[in-house]
Amino acid sequence: MLLWRQFLMEWKLYSRDRAAMFWTFAFPILMLLGFGVIFRGGDTPRLSVVWVQPAQMTPKDGALLKTLEQFPTRLITLSPKEAETRWAKGETAVQIESTSDSFRMKVNSYLLAQGQMTAQVVQQAFLISQSQLQGQPLPKLIPVSMESPGHAKAANYAAFLLPGLLGMNLMSMGLFAVGMVNVSYREKGKFRRLAVTPLPKWIFLLGQVMHRLTVTLIQTIFLLIVGRLVFGIENQGSYMLLAVVMVIGTACFMAMGFALSSFADTSETYAAISNLLFFPMMFLSGVYFTLDGAPKWLQQSVIALPLSPFLKALRAVYNDGAALTTHVFGLGIVVIWTVLCFGLAVKRFRWA
Amino acid sequence: MSELALRIRGLKKQYPNVLAVAGVDLDVKRGEVFGLLGPNGAGKTTTLEMIEGLTDPDSGEMEILGLNWKQNGSEIRSRIGVQLQSTSLFNKITPREALTLYGGYYPKARTADELLELVQLTDKADAYHITLSGGQMQRLALAMALVNDPELVFLDEPTTGLDPQARQSLWGVVRKIKSEGRTVILTTHYMDEAEALCDRLAIMDHGKVLTDGTPAELISQLAIPSVVELSFDGGAPSKERFEALLGTAIEVRGDLWEIPTPDPKSLLPKLLEAAETEKVPYQQVHVRRATLEDVFLHRTGRSLRE
Repeated sequence: MLLWRQFLMEWKLYSRDRAAMFWTFAFPILMLLGFGVIFRGGDTPRLSVVWVQPAQMTPKDGALLKTLEQFPTRLITLSPKEAETRWAKGETAVQIESTSDSFRMKVNSYLLAQGQMTAQVVQQAFLISQSQLQGQPLPKLIPVSMESPGHAKAANYAAFLLPGLLGMNLMSMGLFAVGMVNVSYREKGKFRRLAVTPLPKWIFLLGQVMHRLTVTLIQTIFLLIVGRLVFGIENQGSYMLLAVVMVIGTACFMAMGFALSSFADTSETYAAISNLLFFPMMFLSGVYFTLDGAPKWLQQSVIALPLSPFLKALRAVYNDGAALTTHVFGLGIVVIWTVLCFGLAVKRFRWA
Repeated sequence: MSELALRIRGLKKQYPNVLAVAGVDLDVKRGEVFGLLGPNGAGKTTTLEMIEGLTDPDSGEMEILGLNWKQNGSEIRSRIGVQLQSTSLFNKITPREALTLYGGYYPKARTADELLELVQLTDKADAYHITLSGGQMQRLALAMALVNDPELVFLDEPTTGLDPQARQSLWGVVRKIKSEGRTVILTTHYMDEAEALCDRLAIMDHGKVLTDGTPAELISQLAIPSVVELSFDGGAPSKERFEALLGTAIEVRGDLWEIPTPDPKSLLPKLLEAAETEKVPYQQVHVRRATLEDVFLHRTGRSLRE
């Protein structure tokens, strides 16, 4: 009864905190909508190429432009003067210009990744158009298909991002809504005010934990619904396994919040300590992108932090409908973190 | 039922760098308002926290309403009311909600309406906590300390930081609490507050009780019941020559000369005459009876406000 009242009060007060509501419920959805739409799945992003309009079109020009159309490129035709203005503004990644016997191509040194990719596509198109002009057989291209890592149906970026956001939610719930909040309660003397009443303190903490759990549950359901309605992505695996992974993750990050809160006396110290964990995990655990290009040592050390193995298991279930058998090791790491943090929290948690 | 609401003997608390409470004995009778008066850092709050069960003492005995923390912790908590030096609440909780919530923690509780009426917050009953003034927040904290209909109420510096009007209104509430038959123990570093509210008080400094008694007793213990003050416009002049001439010690405090005396009637003509001949540029002469401030000054050589 007391616990239920405490839980209801947490919700009542929480519902009045507009900023907290926005960050917990609206922000992850906006992230999903924003990035999901920018990198809308299905079609590959178009690479734009600036084509400088020559005074006179020659057959080789026509052949190249026609071939380029078959590639995922967007051709921007500009006069020499306009092309120069655009180049000077730094907006052009690649620019091609017709010369008397061939072409000239410029690649923007600031946009190297995009530029090089585009340049290769243009080179291919050039070879094909040359063969066409000379009546030779056309070079064959290797067929490309899109698949998710678990060979499930082609997934888009939103499908990759959604489990990442679920993980981010859990992490910020644990480190901020639990850890930070309890440090500030201790700092401001809220725990002391409770300590002079006969209320058992575990009831207060349990009420808080129950509130955070329901918040997480609602957040998760919201994201799953938006993912399904807007991007047509849905859980490929069993909801039972999804729930198992989520419960392990929730326990881990909540315990981490409680454990960390015992190492700081003030909110400022806590912010410093928690950011030391939060930012490496956010950027290095594959929330928004994979770490494929990162050095080996970095990839391996990140596995030791719980978010990365958690996300791998979550994506395996959600995106590939996999069983968890291949993720026992990863989930084991998460469970070890949970047990260690829980032990630390029990041993070190202070009210005053 | 014990006659004493509180009895403590030899209470001690050592912090890493300071002996915060160095052996305190106190007896507080039921139904009285008892004050702990002393400057910041005197050990008042630490003493109070040990009595309230927030801090464990290193040694000493405590009997609270005839009970002790080891055996009757939960019962003590149900029967005492505590206002901490600062009470932290959610920004967006209303006084009515806070009182109902905290009332729910106790076996018996007074209604929110009754308490709001008592501390004159009825018209702010449904306003968010963050919109209350300092005085209103302090009155809410006081109402929260009364939510369980306590026999013994602790108020830690209830009026620090409040404007004079808010202090007066809070004093009114404390008197009402006393008239309801409750025992009140409060700390303060305002001597006027101690004089206005307390039936008895203990003066503390450096973790020890220097003296205790009713305000009148403490003042009459001073050999010098009156003080003559000469005020100056901007900074008191050097006193040495005049002191020698007058044959009495002068204390310089800010832009005042204070001359403690057992007999202001005979001092005054001498003083005025000497001031005339010496051309001392004083603005006003004021004779007052000694206060608790003077008691403290006399005992420690320091002012309460220092």
